[in-house]
Amino acid sequence: MKKLIFKKDFVDRLKEIINKSEYQIIYSSDLNFITLKSEDELKDINFFSIRQIQPLKQFFFYPKEELSNVKQTAKKRIIVGIKSCDLQAIKVLDRMFISDYIDENYKNYRENTVLISTDCLYPKETCFCSIVNGRPFVEEENAVSDINISFIDEENFILESFTSKGKEILENYFSDLKEPSEKETILRNKLRENAVKNIFEFNNEFLKEDKKDKYYKTLKNTYVLEDVWKKESEKCVQCGGCNFICPSCYCFLIREASKSHSEQYRDKVWDVCHFTGYSRVAGGANPRKYKYQRFRNRYQCKFVYRYENFGFYACTGCGRCIEVCPAKIDIRKVIRNLVLAKGEEVLVKK
Amino acid sequence: MNIYTPKNFKIVKIIEETPTIKTFTLKSLDGEKFNFQTGQFIELTVYGVGEAPFTPSSSPYKTDTIDVTIMRVGRMTEVLHSMKKGDIVGIRGPYGKGYPVEEFVGKEVLIIGGGVGLAPLRSLLLTLIERINDFKKIILCYGARTPQDVVYKYLFPEWKKIKGLEILRSVDKCQPGEWDEIVGVVTCLLDKVQVDVKNSVAVVCGPPIMMKFTTLKLVELKFKPQQIYLSMERNMSCGLGKCGHCQIGSYFICKDGPVFTWEQLKNIPEPFE
Repeated sequence: MKKLIFKKDFVDRLKEIINKSEYQIIYSSDLNFITLKSEDELKDINFFSIRQIQPLKQFFFYPKEELSNVKQTAKKRIIVGIKSCDLQAIKVLDRMFISDYIDENYKNYRENTVLISTDCLYPKETCFCSIVNGRPFVEEENAVSDINISFIDEENFILESFTSKGKEILENYFSDLKEPSEKETILRNKLRENAVKNIFEFNNEFLKEDKKDKYYKTLKNTYVLEDVWKKESEKCVQCGGCNFICPSCYCFLIREASKSHSEQYRDKVWDVCHFTGYSRVAGGANPRKYKYQRFRNRYQCKFVYRYENFGFYACTGCGRCIEVCPAKIDIRKVIRNLVLAKGEEVLVKK
Repeated sequence: MNIYTPKNFKIVKIIEETPTIKTFTLKSLDGEKFNFQTGQFIELTVYGVGEAPFTPSSSPYKTDTIDVTIMRVGRMTEVLHSMKKGDIVGIRGPYGKGYPVEEFVGKEVLIIGGGVGLAPLRSLLLTLIERINDFKKIILCYGARTPQDVVYKYLFPEWKKIKGLEILRSVDKCQPGEWDEIVGVVTCLLDKVQVDVKNSVAVVCGPPIMMKFTTLKLVELKFKPQQIYLSMERNMSCGLGKCGHCQIGSYFICKDGPVFTWEQLKNIPEPFE
């Protein structure tokens, strides 16, 4: 279902949703996700920012969760302003948490949340989604969001529902609106194409678009290039910033311990594959005892291991790890140097 | 039911195998039977202290209780070793894929264990003994550091009587007069066994260094990578293929293993260590 709406009217309809339903709104304001406290804040929604600083995963996979048999009560939420790169990461998390054994908390949070995505029209220099098979907008075939907002211009939006949850909201609150015309869709597509073009331009000096599993094939057999990995990881201080801020890093640790003699606890916390103790076993043996091995493992996890499992990369090109790194390690440069070390071509031919 | 929450089990028996290894017999508090396949593992919780993966050492044909043989090496096992009969621990599982026993039918099964690594292999051996006529023969090669470090000392006399089961044992070192079997690392036993390599499988479990050299030795003896089964060990936290800790290449040891063939692992960086 597709609907055409003015930006102002969309905000008004959100007001109606808040008043008529039990949904809580979480919105994107510039680079943050903010939980709406009063209607006045609706004017602060920034539909045009890039992905937020904090990853979307935090709303489903909390940094710390108590583990007990008491089922968590999940509030009904609508998150507005999610970018395509974060949704791609949710695909990874869904595969991890709601396949085989079901993580009930994750499932509960996912089911009670409506995801409203927005096209990413103004990507920045660290964005590289289109290099790793992504696009800065959501397409129906592999949509993870329930509703997408795309733009004809800054005031005119196209709403599109992909799921029954999304369709229900459009039917209940937006059914009076007309569908976009072909002309309007063309205008939207032009803006989308322009965003993709910009991403390719930003990355011209690093990498070209992934075609025919290029980066998978490249990284697959690079563990033999130990010298390259050692050099690339030299500056890494193992702070774990890239892991925590990554929208698709799903690692966690189950902790069973005591706060005091009488108070025990059991929880699940985010964990970091860069930490020395991550893979260390009792007795002290460690399959990845050197920094370059752990550094390499993170790249292999994103581009090789999960690619072999799922058929898509676990790196979504959001660029957060580039911004967060205190050592200024750029994932694109690392991959570029590996490709070069293998004697392959990386750059776009001009 | 939260998948990360254990069920309560009571310690009903403790056997001191060696100064650092004990076998605990555990029984479900709610009286439920514990069904598992040989080679699958469990997550054992010492409440308020920690949780770690172990593979049951008892026969899967016995479901009233399970045995786990545990070496005292870290914080959690230290506390576990101080626990008494009647104390309560937590168990999640069984998890993972066990030994593919059906694939061993009609073949010679060479079982190679090092140290406390005999624990999961005891479970396998007890399973094979139940239907011993289904296998051409079973050979157990077991190596320990010293005669004092040998586990299940009380079981070997019975096992030696079983027809179709050959046993070879070695210790790395010993005092004079302490040991009348072979002295040397476990791989030296492989020079002494008579196997029809073409129609056999090898199953290995032990410390990483032993696994590595045993695998190399088996390859040298012309075992094909797909004939070598390895019980892998990693720091497993969730046991369910989610938390990432036990990742080895594109496999999760907890979900896709813990039993792997060498064929699956040979091209992966750092399989042992």
